[in-house]
Amino acid sequence: MDSDWLEISDKDVNVEEIMQQIRERIARRGVSPGKTEVPTTMAENLWKEMVGDATDESALGKLISIQPRDCDIVPRHYVIDWRVPILGPIHAVVRRIINDEIRRYLFASLEKQALFNRKVLRALKGLAEENARLRQEIEALRGAQESEIG
Amino acid sequence: MQIHQFHPTVAYGNAIGDQVLSLQRLLRHLGYSSEIFCEQLPLHFQGRTRRIAQYSHYSSPANILLLHFSLGYSPAVLSWLEQVPDRKVVVYHNITPHVYFNGINDVYRQAAEVGREQLDRLSALTEAGWGDSTFNCQELVERGWTRLGVLPIIFDPQRYRVRPERQVLQRWQGGVNILFVGRVSPNKRFEDLILTVYYVKRLVRPEARLLLVGSWRGMEPYLDFLQALIERLGLSDVFFAGHVSTAQLVAYYRCASVYLSMSEHEGFGVPLVESMYFGVPIVAYKAAAVPETLGDSSILVTAKDYAGTAELIGLLIEDASLRDQIVARQRERFQDFLPDRVEGRLRELLYSLGNGVEK
Repeated sequence: MDSDWLEISDKDVNVEEIMQQIRERIARRGVSPGKTEVPTTMAENLWKEMVGDATDESALGKLISIQPRDCDIVPRHYVIDWRVPILGPIHAVVRRIINDEIRRYLFASLEKQALFNRKVLRALKGLAEENARLRQEIEALRGAQESEIG
Repeated sequence: MQIHQFHPTVAYGNAIGDQVLSLQRLLRHLGYSSEIFCEQLPLHFQGRTRRIAQYSHYSSPANILLLHFSLGYSPAVLSWLEQVPDRKVVVYHNITPHVYFNGINDVYRQAAEVGREQLDRLSALTEAGWGDSTFNCQELVERGWTRLGVLPIIFDPQRYRVRPERQVLQRWQGGVNILFVGRVSPNKRFEDLILTVYYVKRLVRPEARLLLVGSWRGMEPYLDFLQALIERLGLSDVFFAGHVSTAQLVAYYRCASVYLSMSEHEGFGVPLVESMYFGVPIVAYKAAAVPETLGDSSILVTAKDYAGTAELIGLLIEDASLRDQIVARQRERFQDFLPDRVEGRLRELLYSLGNGVEK
């Protein structure tokens, strides 16, 4: 039993009926397919920005050995911790306040720096590409000039 | 006759480690002498596992040595295997394609690549290849194996008969909880889970939560990406639980309203069977071995229609009769992975090897 993108092998379940209900619910909420693409594109762009193009194994990609993940300098998993088993709840509250404050002030600046790093990396890759293209042009012109002289 | 097993290391709560231990129980139950050999002796299994250096005391051309293969062997193990005269069978648990680790973890990426290359070498060393699923066996066919068999992962309910952790229950019980269990890894497509839950919260149930249970060790760049995505979507109620104990895992299943998998690469999918056992309705993306593990149970989605899947989850939560139907079929399916069922399959596979293996 197959209906659009839904598959239920159990013959006692009416897939077409479920699919119809889903269509009705979506129509009722007024979600058009176009709208659902926005978060998907956002996720794809963010992936390219933070992790990079997974297929970038070209000579150019290897020329600039900085990976997009290297640009990210935000220590998201770091928490201030200390293990002095006194003061109990006060200790926990103080620790939480310090962690929250550090995240609020420091992380905002570091996020900006990480974004800047990614932009620099993109610009560097662009320049490397342009450089390779210009080199090719120079070589081609040189070749043409030599054959003219020859 | 002796049937021994080898895996580089064995750990509790790890699908392969559990399979090695369960298989040992089955083999002994079938009357075979069976030991587990490891390259690195695991701390918690002293006495239950032996070093490969000790294998010379057991080795014989009449023995069968089951080689569990998931991420590749060290060169030392490969040369050891070349010298061992025993009959060998590879038990393939699948290797995540290396492309998923591009830009995330170079060590994993390289290990996955090397592991696949080693498969070619192993095909010449072993007389048969067993996979957890037909999907895994298909890869063995491509790598040159001709004698194949499917030996599913053994699901032992005994392992889950623990008291669910109270703290987890207190925190999450009640409300709409969408659960996924698995290592935080790009092949499991956590971003698709997040996007689906974005629509669940926006369209269907604003109070819904996404509970993600599994370790992210070695996958920090991917976790950073996921957290940044959550932030950009302005999404709240997405929780990364990390690695959990069995008592915590049981509690998470007890709190779950729906189990959602958008994974693109699974060699079997133990959490799917766990969800069947705990009566959590499953919605899963149809990819790799997932449809095979689910059999004729659960709900498969063949496209990543996030809004549509969100509505489907809404239906499952609201329509009790639909949920009961799905769960009832899942309960039937999960029986296929119980030790006594797999024991029959194991007996057949051993018999197919011939030469003294009795039915």
